[in-house]
Order: sequence, then C-alpha cells, then structure tokens
Amino acid sequence: MIFELIVQQLVNGLTLGSTYALIALGYTMVYGIITLINFAHGEIYMVGAFVGLYLVTAMQWNLLAAMAGAMAFCMVMGIVIERVAYRPLRRSTRLSALISAIGVSIFLYSLMLLIRGAQPTRFPKIFPDRMLSLGVAEISLLQLFILAVSALLMIGLHYLVQKTRVGKAMRATSQDYDTAALMGIDVNQIISYTFAIGSSLAAAGGVLVGMYFNAVFPLMGYQAGLKAFAAAVLGGIGSIPGAMLGGVLLGVLEMLGVAIGLSSYRNAIAFTILILVLLIRPTGLMGRQIQRKV
Amino acid sequence: MLDVKDLEVSYGAIRALHGISFTVEEGEIVTLIGGNGAGKSTTLRTISGLLRPTRGRLLFRGQDLAGMPPHRIVAVGISQVPEGRRVFPLMTVLENLELGAYQRRDRTGINADLEGVFTKFPRLAERKNQLAGTLSGGEQQMLAMGRALMARPQLMLMDEPSMGLAPMLVKAIFETIVEINRQGTTILLVEQNARMALSIANRGYVLETGEVALAGPAKELASNPEVRRAYLGE
Ligand SMILES: Nc1ncnc2c1ncn2[C@@H]1O[C@H](COP(=O)(O)OP(=O)(O)OP(=O)(O)O)[C@@H](O)[C@H]1O
Ligand SMILES: [Mg+2]
Repeated sequence: MIFELIVQQLVNGLTLGSTYALIALGYTMVYGIITLINFAHGEIYMVGAFVGLYLVTAMQWNLLAAMAGAMAFCMVMGIVIERVAYRPLRRSTRLSALISAIGVSIFLYSLMLLIRGAQPTRFPKIFPDRMLSLGVAEISLLQLFILAVSALLMIGLHYLVQKTRVGKAMRATSQDYDTAALMGIDVNQIISYTFAIGSSLAAAGGVLVGMYFNAVFPLMGYQAGLKAFAAAVLGGIGSIPGAMLGGVLLGVLEMLGVAIGLSSYRNAIAFTILILVLLIRPTGLMGRQIQRKV
Repeated sequence: MLDVKDLEVSYGAIRALHGISFTVEEGEIVTLIGGNGAGKSTTLRTISGLLRPTRGRLLFRGQDLAGMPPHRIVAVGISQVPEGRRVFPLMTVLENLELGAYQRRDRTGINADLEGVFTKFPRLAERKNQLAGTLSGGEQQMLAMGRALMARPQLMLMDEPSMGLAPMLVKAIFETIVEINRQGTTILLVEQNARMALSIANRGYVLETGEVALAGPAKELASNPEVRRAYLGE
C-alpha cells in the first residue's frame, strides 16, 4: 500500500518535474551566458500558456500546432525582451539588469491581468480521462503526453547544444565571452538565440502545465518561476544537465512530500531545498568547477 | 598591412594607451615588448575589437577597423592568441579547434587545416577528445595557437605565448611562430621575454606606460644599451 503510493507519487513527480525542468533550462542557459537571473522568465512561461490556450480555443488549432505556435510566439518575445530590456544594460551593473528584469516581469503580469483578469481559465479537455496501468501505479494519457513532449524537447536541446555549430558557439560564449568573440562568434546573436530557445521551452512548459492543472492565469508564472529557479540552483545554475536533473528531482521530492502528508507545505519544499543548496553547496549538483591551468 | 596611428584607449577614467603609432608590413614578424602594465594586451585587444579606441586610427589593408565588432575583424583576416591561452576548458581539443574556424564554411579546407595543426602539434592529435581544461600549460598554448590558425588569418596577434612555460617549451613555441610566419602569416607578437622575441622578429617597438618609447629593427633594439639594461637584464 505504502509502496504503491510512493510509486504513484514518483510517476506524478516525474511528470511535474519534467515541466520544472523545461522552465529551469531557460534560467540556467541565460545565466550561463550573461550571468543574469532572468526574472521575467516565469512570465514568459505564463504568456506561453495563454497563447497556447488562445490557439486551441479561439483558433481551433490542434494541440501540437498550438504548442508550436506558443513556442514561436515566446521565442520572438524572448528575443525582444533581451534587446529592449537587457542589452542596453550589458555594461552596467548586474543589479540594474536584475531590476530591469523584475520590471519586465511586473509589466507582463500586469498586462495579462488587464487582458484576462485574475481568474483562472480552464484548458479544454483534449485527452480522455483514461488511466493506463503500470502494474503498481497508474499513469494518465495526459501525463504520458507531458513526459513524452518534455523528453523530446530535452533530447532536442541536448543535440543542439552538443552537436551543432550554434550549440558549440553557445557553450563557448558561456565559458569565455571575450574569447568566443575572438573566434569570430557574433556573441550578440548567440545571446539572442539563447533567449529564443529558453523562452520557447518555457512556453511549452506553460501549455503543458496549463493542461495538467487545468488552469491558466496571470499569476501562474510567479510560483512556477520561483520553483524552476530553485530547480536550476539545485542542479547547478549555468549547467544544462543540472537544470534537467534539478527539475525532475524537485518535482519528485515535492510529490513525495505530499505523499508523507506534507501537502500543505508542498510549495515550501522547493524553497527549503533552495536555501539548503545555497547554504551547503552553492554550485549545486552539477555546477561547474572550472579550473584553469596557467 | 596594419597601420596604427595615434591610438588612445581608456578603461573608464584610466587611460591605458596615450596615442601610440606603429605599423606591421606584409610577411613580417613585429614584436611589441614592454613591462607589466605597459599596454601591450590593451593594444591587441583593441585591434581585435574587444576595446574601443577613444581616438586614433586602425587601418588594416586600408580598411578602418575602429568600431567594428570582434567577429567582423576575424572575418577580415585577423585572429588572436590571447594572453593566458584562454582555451575553452569544458570543450574538447577538437571542439576548440573547430571554434577557431567558426566563420568558415569550406569543410574540405577546414579539414585540411585541422590536419595541418595536428602535424604541427602531434600532442594535440593524441588528445583530440580530451577536455581542453585538462591539458598542461604548454599543450594549452599549442591549442590556442592551433585554434587561431584555424581561422586562416592573414595577421596573427599573439599575446605572451611564452608566459609560464619551461625554457625548452619556450624555444619550441618560438620555433613554431617562425614556421607559421614562413608559411605566410604575418605576426604581431607581444612579449615580456624580449630576448626571444627580438631574436625572431624583423622589427620591434618598446612600449612604456602606454607610449612607444623606442622603435627599430629587432637587431638594433637588441643591441641598444637602454633595451639591454631594462629588458634584457644586462
Ligand atoms: N580591465 C581593466 N580595467 C582597468 N584598467 C585596466 C584593465 N585592463 C588593463 N588595465 C590597465 O591598463 C594598463 C595596461 O594594461 P595591459 O594589460 O594592456 O598591460 P600589458 O602590457 O599587457 O601588461 P602585462 O605584461 O602584465 O600583461 C595597466 O595600467 C592596467 O592596470
Ligand atoms: Mg598583457
């Protein structure tokens, strides 16, 4: 009985965690390249959820097309935000960029509040309620879909970052900005790509979570953003595999916490972990420890 | 080939270069020597576009480089081996070399140059798939040089390639510089090791606190009493 409950919560935790991972990737990639905590990232995720919802309901697009649409929309939004709000501050202090990011975050939140109001909108039911049996536990079609889409996106990202020319330029820029420029890399362009990719992953996460909790609302980005940030720190901020691991781990811990009766503290779990990581091991699980030989 | 005129560069309120002028002709090895903080790295970083001059001109084959972003400067044919090697520590040797050819699309030419680098530095071939951060200092210097060569530059800027290396290695590195030059690449070499630099250079400039203090053929500088006293330790 207990065992089955735990396995069931593991399934639920993996599902939730994979969405945290999608969002955490954007934080970690942007931080890796310009050492900025993009405070507006949670709001990009929220806007992505709204765009997906709009495409499914008002435009009658099918789910996959709507997700692609939301990703494309946020891709452009991410590029614009970087250009308008962060790039002009690149040479000023980290604090001014951070304040600018908070400003963008408040702006996007208020804008959606104005357009849609604070009340959650339900996501139309796309998957039938059927549960598939895994022996000791069950998984819904929606959960399966979330896991599959997240996995595909993360595999795609891994391929892009490890194997492609742009991916190599992204890694080089995050390791050594000036030297990347000396290689002939247009670092501004690479920063734009980074925002584009991170924002589109957040949009995908937004649509998935909107369906999972059957609610899309302006404040959704706030909490998810903080949790995904905690996940990125847990994995080691700046590390892409770290963000994936941190997200999944956080989701699982959260659901296990619920299983042992901590459900009223479930949001506190993420922040407790965040604080513990910062105190004990600020570089996180897979944080980089660059050593240069001279 | 490179014509630097009255170059002035500041870090905020601190002026690092007070209007320096020098030239590099096609096919030459020219060296800039000088002590700590003289402005050697600042000069190279400005040529590469990492710093903006506040005054002066930077002409490369008649084209003004001032205001061009670094990636455009690589495209016109200037690459740099930066001070302290600056290899990408978490990428493999091969990936580092490929990044050197980032602007190029000619796959066959890139592969040929890769072979050329591996012939020049067999150690790198053996460690092709090793992370660059795990190489020894000397190997990292070879990698930084190979990486700069992968851009197929007309002009190569080198910032203290001998720094921190054992005398044997220093000799090998300087021999490689001469070889690269013979194969057709013009070289602007920044060094604190004035003796070695002057022994392979055609001409030299002595930088002192952001100004050119002396200039001339390398042989003359090497026998100049002031240079001998201040930079050759005699
Ligand atoms: N990022 C910086 N900010 C402020 N001042 C700087 C900066 N980099 C260099 N400087 C100053 O500019 C002057 C020239 O420095 P530069 O690095 O060009 O010297 P260098 O000749 O390369 O010295 P070294 O042989 O020690 O490498 C020095 O006074 C240095 O303190
Ligand atoms: Mg220097």
